[in-house]
Amino acid sequence: MSRLVLLDNEAVLALRDASHPKHRKVISHVQVITSRQRRAEAIDAAVPTAVRVEAGWDRRSPAWAFPNRLRIADVPLDVAHASRAAAFRSATGVPVADAHLGAVMDLTSATRITVITSDPRDMRRIAGDTDLTIVSL
Amino acid sequence: MTALAVIDRISALLDDSMQETSNTSMRIPTALRDAAALAVKELGVASSTTSLTTSALRSVLEAAVIQAVLDEHYQHHPEARPDLGDLAVAAAEIDGHPLSAEPDRLRSAAAEILVRHPGATAEDVVLWAEARAFAA
Repeated sequence: MSRLVLLDNEAVLALRDASHPKHRKVISHVQVITSRQRRAEAIDAAVPTAVRVEAGWDRRSPAWAFPNRLRIADVPLDVAHASRAAAFRSATGVPVADAHLGAVMDLTSATRITVITSDPRDMRRIAGDTDLTIVSL
Repeated sequence: MTALAVIDRISALLDDSMQETSNTSMRIPTALRDAAALAVKELGVASSTTSLTTSALRSVLEAAVIQAVLDEHYQHHPEARPDLGDLAVAAAEIDGHPLSAEPDRLRSAAAEILVRHPGATAEDVVLWAEARAFAA
């Protein structure tokens, strides 16, 4: 069993800024993920690249040094993800970043998915039949 | 080297394409080597003992680096350091555990368990809170 934990725009912004009201909450999740990784549990954190664009996460920028060092993986908007995201966006009208999140949920090989989000309603809509755990910020 | 410089250097090495390989003279316990060989051959846990070893080493290093980053962050931002109650709530939320809807119960369980088990994990707290809820 493997779990993928996805971050949305708000989670990324909260992670970056120590003065963000949700910073400690997001850090708590990163700490739990890290502690489980240290016990060799199959759990990873990832961010779809369209979410990074929305949040302004430039990996070359020193302003993003802290999130960069946490080794949160990018999920690129490749051909398969772009097609799936386009279908989500056409069907639901969700923003591009949320559509990419939906595509990742759909295409990941992880057996369990958690998304940390400020918009649980949209996530539920995007997830459809996918077994998704939603953490509301 | 500063801690951050070490972290960045290890991260850069982990991000390398890993095309270049080296023979090592690392000595490991014979029994561990044999256990790994058997696990590869009979359980199919990896394509080779080398693959198994490098994969395990990478996982340990990545987790250690991230923990070092978090520890460094906590030093500069002590208010960001989660307590056991925060971690228990986060663990329950990540897993979609029903008790994630009762954060106060989890925080209370964390406070209780810390008295006798200072090294308790977030998952210990969730289990303890679940057991208490079940018994009630």
